[in-house]
Amino acid sequence: MTVDISVLIGGEAGQGIQTVGLLMARTCHRAGLYVIAVNDFESRIRGGHSFIQLRISTRPVHGPPQTLHLMVALDDRTYELHQPDLTEGGLALIPKKDDADTIAQHHQCKMVDFEGLAQKAGGRILTNTVAAGTSLALLGAPLDLFENVLKTTFDHLAEKRLAQNAQAAQYGYAAAKDETFKWSWRWEMTSPKGRLIDGAHAVAFGALAGDCRFSAFYPMSPATGIVQRLVDMAPTVPLVIEQAEDEIAAVNMVIGAAFAGVRAMTATSGGGFSLMTEGLGLAAITETPIVIVNAQRPGPATGLPTRTTQADLQFVIHASQDEFPRFVFAPGTPFEAFSVTARAFELSDRFQVPAIILVDQYLNDSLFVAEESFEAPEAVTPFTVTDDDLDDAKHYRRYELKDSGISPRALPCNGRALVKVCSDEHDEEGHITEDAEIRDAMVEKRHAKYDAMRRHIRPPEVIHAGSDILLVCWGSMRGAMEEAVNQLRADGINCGGIHVVDVWPFPDAAVSEILANAAQFFVVEQNRTAQLGHLIRQQTGYRYTDAVLKCNGRPMRAGEITEAIKTKLK
Amino acid sequence: MVSTNDYRSDYPNHWCPGCGNFGILDAMKSALAALDLPPEKILIVSGIGQAAKTPHFLECNCFHSLHGRALPIATGAKIANHLMTVLVSTGDGDCYGEGGNHFMHAIRRNIDVTVLAHNNGVYGLTKGQASPTSMEGIQTKIQPGGVIAGAFNPLAVALSLGAKFVARGFSGEGEQLSNLIQAGIRHSGFALIDILQPCVSFNRLNTHKWYKDRIEPIEENHDETDLIAALQLTLGADDRIPTGIYYRRESPSYTDRIDKLSEKPLKDHRYRPELLEALLSD
Repeated sequence: MTVDISVLIGGEAGQGIQTVGLLMARTCHRAGLYVIAVNDFESRIRGGHSFIQLRISTRPVHGPPQTLHLMVALDDRTYELHQPDLTEGGLALIPKKDDADTIAQHHQCKMVDFEGLAQKAGGRILTNTVAAGTSLALLGAPLDLFENVLKTTFDHLAEKRLAQNAQAAQYGYAAAKDETFKWSWRWEMTSPKGRLIDGAHAVAFGALAGDCRFSAFYPMSPATGIVQRLVDMAPTVPLVIEQAEDEIAAVNMVIGAAFAGVRAMTATSGGGFSLMTEGLGLAAITETPIVIVNAQRPGPATGLPTRTTQADLQFVIHASQDEFPRFVFAPGTPFEAFSVTARAFELSDRFQVPAIILVDQYLNDSLFVAEESFEAPEAVTPFTVTDDDLDDAKHYRRYELKDSGISPRALPCNGRALVKVCSDEHDEEGHITEDAEIRDAMVEKRHAKYDAMRRHIRPPEVIHAGSDILLVCWGSMRGAMEEAVNQLRADGINCGGIHVVDVWPFPDAAVSEILANAAQFFVVEQNRTAQLGHLIRQQTGYRYTDAVLKCNGRPMRAGEITEAIKTKLK
Repeated sequence: MVSTNDYRSDYPNHWCPGCGNFGILDAMKSALAALDLPPEKILIVSGIGQAAKTPHFLECNCFHSLHGRALPIATGAKIANHLMTVLVSTGDGDCYGEGGNHFMHAIRRNIDVTVLAHNNGVYGLTKGQASPTSMEGIQTKIQPGGVIAGAFNPLAVALSLGAKFVARGFSGEGEQLSNLIQAGIRHSGFALIDILQPCVSFNRLNTHKWYKDRIEPIEENHDETDLIAALQLTLGADDRIPTGIYYRRESPSYTDRIDKLSEKPLKDHRYRPELLEALLSD
C-alpha cells in the first residue's frame, strides 16, 4: 500500500508547535517512512498563528504537502483557517470545550482534551506530547516507537520529566481509542531511509566539510538556524563563532579572518546581505576568499521575515559597485546544501573570490529525509603559500600578475613574506595606484579567473532529458518541480525538468544544449519577474515560453505548478 | 635588533608637507623598533582616510580596508592568528564616524589591538568637512554656519564602555607618543591612543601652535587605575588638554577567553575528518 498523507499541527506561537512536528517527523523517520515537515510561522514570539505540516509517505517525497488529511488544532483559529483545506474524509482534532459549539459537532471533528490530559500527566507543557500521541495513534504508529523517540528527543530532561512525557504520550494514544482515521495504515518497521535533516543543518555540516574555522553573523531570520547549528557543533571542532554588532561587521570580520588564514563564512538574509554588499566588494578587490549564505525571505526591506522566496538571484549576482568574478550556488535539497557549501569553501579559496550560497526559509527550516550519504572529505587542500613555496619571500608581491589571474596567496605574519592588501586599486605589491595601465592589468587579472572558474561549474540536473516541454527551476523549487514533472507525465504530457544549482558563472553551454532540443520551456520560480528566465535569456539567447511564479511567501506546491502548466498549454 | 630603518618603505608618501601624520609615523617606527618587533610580526589594519594610508609608508603586513571597517577586519584577523601584533591606523572620521558602531563593540570585546586614532578634527581626504571631533561652531565649506553638533569625546566614550587602555598623544610630541604606542602594544586587550594632530590644509583653528599652547602631560600622581579620575580628565574642566595614559588596567582579552586558542592559533589547526564524521554520525 502506498501512503502519502499530510498532517497539520497548528496553534499559537509559543505553544510548541514545532516540537510536535519534530516528534512526529522523527517517529515517521525512525519507522522507515519518508517525511517532509514544513514550518509556517509568523514573526512573533507569542500568540498569532503558526503551524507545521507534515507529509508522510512510503515513497520518496520531495515537495511540500498538498492535500490535508489530519489536522491537530491546538486553538480555534487553526481549525477556522485550515478547515477548508481538509480533504473529504479528513479529520480534525480540536481542544475540548465545555460549551460544545457548532464547530465541535462538525462530523470531521474530534474533541480531545489536550490540556486536561497534559495537566493530568504533569503539566500544561506536555500538551505537545499529548497532541503528537493522539495524531500518531490515529495514523497507526506503534506507541513504543513514539516512546523511544521521546526518550532520545528529551534525553536532556530529568527522569521525572521523561516519565511525565511517556505518561502524556499514553494519554494521547488513549484519547484516540474510539476514533478511526480513514488513512490509518499498518506500520511496517523498516530501517530509516536516510538522514532527517533541515537545510540549515545541512549548510552547517557543509561548512565543516569545507573546513570553516570562523563565522561571524548578526541574527536574522531565516539564516540564524545555520549559525545555531554551527554553535551546537563547535565544541568539538576548531571553529570560533562571533555575534557581530551588525552585518557590516560580520562580513568584515569574516574577511579579516580569511585574510589571516582561516576559511570563514557568514550567514544572513537579503536585508543583511544588502549591508554586506560593501564587504563583498572588499573581498573581491582584495581577492580574499569568503563564503556568504543568503537565506532568502520576501522583501524588500523587512518584507515577510519568517517566510520564503527566491527573489535575490539577480541581486546577488550583481551586488556591489563595479564588476568582479564570484560564485553563486543555489542548492535544492539538504544534501545539495551540504555538498555545495563544502564546494563553495573550496572554490572560493582556490580562486580567491567570494562565493555566495542562496538558500531560503523553506529549505532552511523544513525537515527532509535525505537518502544520500553525507561524507566528511578525507582531506581539505589549502591554497595558500608559505616562504618555502616562494622564490623570493623577501620581495613577495601579493598581486603578482599571472595569466590565470591567481596570485600566490601568502598569509600575514606567517614568514618573511610581507602581505599588503588594499581596497584601493593597487599594484602588484598591494600599494595604492592610479596608473591606468596597472588598473587595466588588475581588472584583467581578476576577470581572467572566470575561464577556470567556469570549468568548475557543474551543469544543471536534467530530469527526463529530451522531453518536448521542460520545467526549469533553481534552488529549493527542485522538489516541487520534480513532483510536478511526474504528475504531468502521468497525465500524458511529455515533460521533463531542469534544476540549476551552480548559477554563477552561468553554465551557458550546458543549458543551451539542453534547451536547444525542447519545444517549450517554462521557468518555475518563487519571485515576481522570472529572474532565472531572464538570466537564461541573457546568457543563452533562449526565451522562456512562460513562467509559473509565486511570491506570497508560501512554498509553491507541485499541484500549483501542474495546474498552471496545463492552463498555459491549452 | 630591529631598527627604524627596517620599517623604511620606498613607496612615495602622499601626505601634505607639514602634516601631523609624519610625526605619528616616526613615533610608530620608533615604538616598534624599541619593542624589537620586526615588520613580519606586525599587521596594520586601516580604514579609509589619510591616516589609513599609513601602512603603505612603512614596511609591514597590512590590510588597507574600507572606511570605518578597520576594527572588524582587525578583529577577524586577530581571532584567526592571535600571535600577530595588530595595530589599527585610523582617523577621527574613520573610527568615530563611519566606524562608530564597530568602535563601541571592539571595546566591549576587548579585542587585543592597538588603535592609533589620528584625530585632526576635520575630514582631510574629502577636503575639509567637519568630523565627529570638530569643535562645535567651527565653520567649514559644508558647515558655513558652524558645526551644530557637539564634539564626540572618544576617550570618555571608550572609558564608559569599559576600555582598559585609554591614552592621548600629540603628533608633535614624538617621544611621548612613541612611549604611548609601546605601552598600548604591550597592553593585552583593546588599547585606544587618540592622537591629536593638526591638519595643515583644512583645520585653521586647531593648529600646531593651538595644540602646543594647550597640551600638558598628565600629572605624575594620577592613578591610572582610577576610572573616575580618568573620566574627569577626559571632561576637561579648563582649556588644558592632558596627554598620556588616562587609564590602564589589565584584563583578559577576547582571544584570551577562547579556550580553543590557548594551544595554537586558529589558522594552525589542521582539518581532521574524524571530527566531522563524529558529528555526522551523532
